[in-house]
Amino acid sequence: MKRILPLLILAGLVCVSALVAVQTVMAQDAITKLAPEAFGKLTRPAAVFVHDKHNEKAKLEDCVVCHHGGKDGVIDRTASTEGTPCSECHKVKPAGKATSLQRAYHKQCIDCHRTKGKGPVACGQCHKR
Amino acid sequence: MNAAYEFVTGPLAWFAWGIFILGAAWRLYSMYQLAKKKDASSWAFMDLGFSLRSIVNWLIPFNALGWRKSPVMTVATFAFHICLILVPVFLVAHVVLWTEFFGISYATLPDSVADAMTLVVLAACLIFAGRRLTQKEVAYITTGKDWLALVIVTLPFLTGFLAYHQIFDYQVMIIAHIVAGEIMLAAIPFTRLSHMVFAAFTRAYMGSEFGGVRHARDW
Repeated sequence: MKRILPLLILAGLVCVSALVAVQTVMAQDAITKLAPEAFGKLTRPAAVFVHDKHNEKAKLEDCVVCHHGGKDGVIDRTASTEGTPCSECHKVKPAGKATSLQRAYHKQCIDCHRTKGKGPVACGQCHKR
Repeated sequence: MNAAYEFVTGPLAWFAWGIFILGAAWRLYSMYQLAKKKDASSWAFMDLGFSLRSIVNWLIPFNALGWRKSPVMTVATFAFHICLILVPVFLVAHVVLWTEFFGISYATLPDSVADAMTLVVLAACLIFAGRRLTQKEVAYITTGKDWLALVIVTLPFLTGFLAYHQIFDYQVMIIAHIVAGEIMLAAIPFTRLSHMVFAAFTRAYMGSEFGGVRHARDW
């Protein structure tokens, strides 16, 4: 028993670190929540959004549907911006009448869900506790 | 879910606000007509100065003798009414809806503060109910209409609290919360809640009579 115990501890440590490593790699690939750093401390729990699963379910193949371009308050659905963080254009506290980051997310998600009649529309459906 | 949510936040919301605003205007107008017909003499002594004097004095906690005589009720009713107005108006989730629907945005209460204030409203509702049951002079004049008003006010805050904390089924709770709020709005002109519309005039009437006729304070 005395010889097995250190081995067991070692094996346990290896397993845990492997798990952490795998999760870190996976987290970089799969988006499951919308919590851009720009927001700082969040008011509500981060909105649940499993990117790939959502697009599969919504049959979305064209990135520009969400990752739109545009300027001066006019959305340009021909200029795709995937890879650019939303917060780069939509500031948390924008100057003038520009669309804020929060409003951009709410508009993007809720407006589409309302038109399609599918998908979450009320606060707690995305901001799950 | 989506169709129900669309309905309660769309047509039903417009309907409830319509009943609230038009109903309140109609109640004020018909009460004015009734007062002119049945209590014409009172118009002679209505006085802006005495009215405001009475309103201001009753707005200060423990200032009026009526408040000093029932301290628990005074604390409960002031806390209740302040929270009752501030929470729904300045709640983050509600302001987000104003922004969503009308592009309007303004200052909000931190969620933790609004949460505590909601509990204050619910606790006050319990105190009001307890008072109606246990205090003889209050129980004597309590009718079904008083209980109805209390239930109508309690429900939006109870369902709102449960929806915010996502206790029980969220989708059912959020719809229930919106409907409860709309029932409350629409009920204001036609239930005991009409004191929201009439309170200032009731106070003004008392203040004017005590000030101008009896030459006494009414607080």
